[in-house]
Amino acid sequence: MLNLISAQFSFFLALLLLAIGAVGSLTFAKKDWLANLWGNGLAILASVSGLVAAVKVLIFNEAFTYTINSTFSNLSLSLAVDKLSAFFVLIISLVAFLSSIYGIGYVKHFYNKYNLGVLGFFYNIFLVGMLFVVSAHNGFFFLIVWEIMSLASYFLVIFENKENNNIKAGSLYLVMTHVGTAFIMLAFLLLYRATGSLDFSVIKANIGNASLLIKNLVFIFALIGFGTKAGIIPFHIWLPSAHPAAPTHVSALMSGVMIKTGIYMFIRLFVEILSGTELWWGATILIIGIISSLLGVLYALTEHDIKRLLAYHSIENIGIILLGLGSAMIFLSLNLKTLAALSLVAALFHTLNHATFKALLFMGAGSVISQTHTRNIEEYGGLIKFMPQTALYFLIGSLAISALPPFNGFFSEWLTFQTIFSGIQIPDILTKSMFILAAGSLAFTGGLAAACFVKAFGVTFLARPRSVAVLQARESGFFMRFSMAALALATLILGIFAGSVSKIILGAVNNLTGFQRVSGIFFTQKQTFELSNGFAAISTPMIFVILSVVLLLIYGIVKILTSKRKVKIGRTWDCGTKLEPQMEITATSFARSIVIIFKGALKPSKQLEIEYRDADMRYFPKSRNVELGIVDVYRFYFYQPLRDLMIRLSGYAKNVQIGILNVYIAYIFLILLILLFVQS
Amino acid sequence: MVMPVNFLCNEEKIEIIGGKLQKKIQRLFNGSLAIREVDTGSTNSCEHELTALSNPYYDVERFGISFVASPRHADMLMVTGPVTRNMREALIKTYEATPDPKIVVAVGNDAINGGIFRGSYAVLDGVDKIIPVDFQIPGDPPSPKTILCHLLKILVVIEEKDHGENK
Repeated sequence: MLNLISAQFSFFLALLLLAIGAVGSLTFAKKDWLANLWGNGLAILASVSGLVAAVKVLIFNEAFTYTINSTFSNLSLSLAVDKLSAFFVLIISLVAFLSSIYGIGYVKHFYNKYNLGVLGFFYNIFLVGMLFVVSAHNGFFFLIVWEIMSLASYFLVIFENKENNNIKAGSLYLVMTHVGTAFIMLAFLLLYRATGSLDFSVIKANIGNASLLIKNLVFIFALIGFGTKAGIIPFHIWLPSAHPAAPTHVSALMSGVMIKTGIYMFIRLFVEILSGTELWWGATILIIGIISSLLGVLYALTEHDIKRLLAYHSIENIGIILLGLGSAMIFLSLNLKTLAALSLVAALFHTLNHATFKALLFMGAGSVISQTHTRNIEEYGGLIKFMPQTALYFLIGSLAISALPPFNGFFSEWLTFQTIFSGIQIPDILTKSMFILAAGSLAFTGGLAAACFVKAFGVTFLARPRSVAVLQARESGFFMRFSMAALALATLILGIFAGSVSKIILGAVNNLTGFQRVSGIFFTQKQTFELSNGFAAISTPMIFVILSVVLLLIYGIVKILTSKRKVKIGRTWDCGTKLEPQMEITATSFARSIVIIFKGALKPSKQLEIEYRDADMRYFPKSRNVELGIVDVYRFYFYQPLRDLMIRLSGYAKNVQIGILNVYIAYIFLILLILLFVQS
Repeated sequence: MVMPVNFLCNEEKIEIIGGKLQKKIQRLFNGSLAIREVDTGSTNSCEHELTALSNPYYDVERFGISFVASPRHADMLMVTGPVTRNMREALIKTYEATPDPKIVVAVGNDAINGGIFRGSYAVLDGVDKIIPVDFQIPGDPPSPKTILCHLLKILVVIEEKDHGENK
């Protein structure tokens, strides 16, 4: 059966199904349940088809290209799915498959409130956009599909348009993503100028013609352009407001998958097309990775909005991926191909892992939100008693993102560590110190991420309910639980069979130009993973077995030792008073001590308002109000001055626009004269 | 089991009573007897006497007796006061929070039967109306030395009971 369908066929089938899904949900928009089933159902079918295509390319080497030529060669529609593209198609399809199943259950609470036909339409178009983005092979076509993806996701962000905050978040996203697109356009135009084509393979072949200056400019523009989409600090400000605004299954896709298209283009452009010639490129990416991972997790710690918290963790994980990618580019510029390949495997593996556990966490958060109708974790508490399964899946996601074995986050971070350690062995002192910094920041990030998820899980699910809404919470429906269970299982399987997965990813890396003959980086035998230089080895199934055995042993010993003891269940000792939810450790109090340690970076703010009974005689306060927060450094020190500058410049530009027709004709005449002189 | 009111031990020094106590505590409680004191609306006289047990003159910690902050750590509850209505629930909670096996001692006349507050609408007339009481230490208030003597007596009783069960 699998042999009958070619990869190309199933890829196009996926696109076709998504198109039908998009149009169909608009058609059935009158009936909420039908639009829901149609939009998500076809997305499910399409993702299965996409999965088949990706697996066929990755495992059966069925890479394909597809071109519709037009008379203008630059405007031709050109697709190419090689193994790298297929790997991203795999991530998109996997997350889209489970998000769509989740969506069937999740969007039910939008019935009679919002137009689900519109949701289904943009959801499917969004998926089409992402699939095209990772397969486009022509700059012009790429920009079109990039824009389709961005606009579709914009409309998904503002889908719940009755809340004003969502519109605001959407506008910010729209502005930021177009600033990014402008830089991407500049990068492509520069490439076009240097190589005479927008086709990726032609650009790659002729890149030798480009001067170093052009290459450097392309690097900077692409870094800003794609970095904005990936959410690197300081271009991240749209991410924590846009991701929470979207419906949860879309947040899972945006955070798990969409921002990875930025990573995809980083790899495509820097590693393959520009073939990473400069050392400072890699160093820049590495430093951005360090900053993004550290600040991302620190900001996550200060957040009380569960979806914003997860969005900040996306920035952190993009940082970790960039640590791998930056190392790869440094190794590439030093002509250490094997190490570069290893780093790429680490980066790609973490991309896949982050997609799975971040989607899982967003879905867990979404289940909680759909029951409690708030995103503020201070109003949760004790949800484990009301939603035990959701709690379990969220816990698994938390363990995975905190890089704890045997889940998948552990292995990819281990791999990233290995690449960084290999980088430390480089004799050049500057490069070496950069890698040492990277190793430190990665270790630090892991610890802080664990602290943050102790907070997120503890405050949400443990202790006692802190609001009435929690008491009315029920376990989420079948579709939502199924998706979460599947993703939880995926994090475990990817963690245990990490050896095989990294082999497949190495296949994708070998497919890139310049890496064809790179092999023997690592050995996997019975899932035991060993670096070929003998520096490190790990056996993920063994870790799993040992952990399971230890857990069972502890359980058994405790059971035997306490078998004769009588168990009496009583109230918690509360010193004779009544236990109140106010006595619990809240997210604020948990995070505050860490925030204070990093007050240099986070700039915590504290506002104390006291109202006195008698304003003249300040002895008896009526009420005290303490507000703890952090200053938005980027808005105040970067975007606000930038905005003010733009407004001032626009003010000057206004002087030219007088509004008298004769003056405009004079302008045209002047320009014509100048052009004539320049030409002659 | 209620102690006779005229149980006195004026003859002996604190060190001698303490030495005997220490031996008993060593045998029965593995060297340390943890007491949680519950004030259920006492006049504070009993508290003063109990506090005096920890001062440098009596210093009962040297014999292995310690006052603990949580009933979860306690072997023995010492309840003072006639049990006011407001303290009733707190007393029950404390009793429930103390792990089994536990010893409940009512200290002072107020705790035994309400004392001078007996019959007031605000009090419930003694600890044994609320929770089962094992021993009583009379006095209004009992002096620290009396409390120590009674403790010794209590341990003797417990030890005899323990022997009786083992046989």
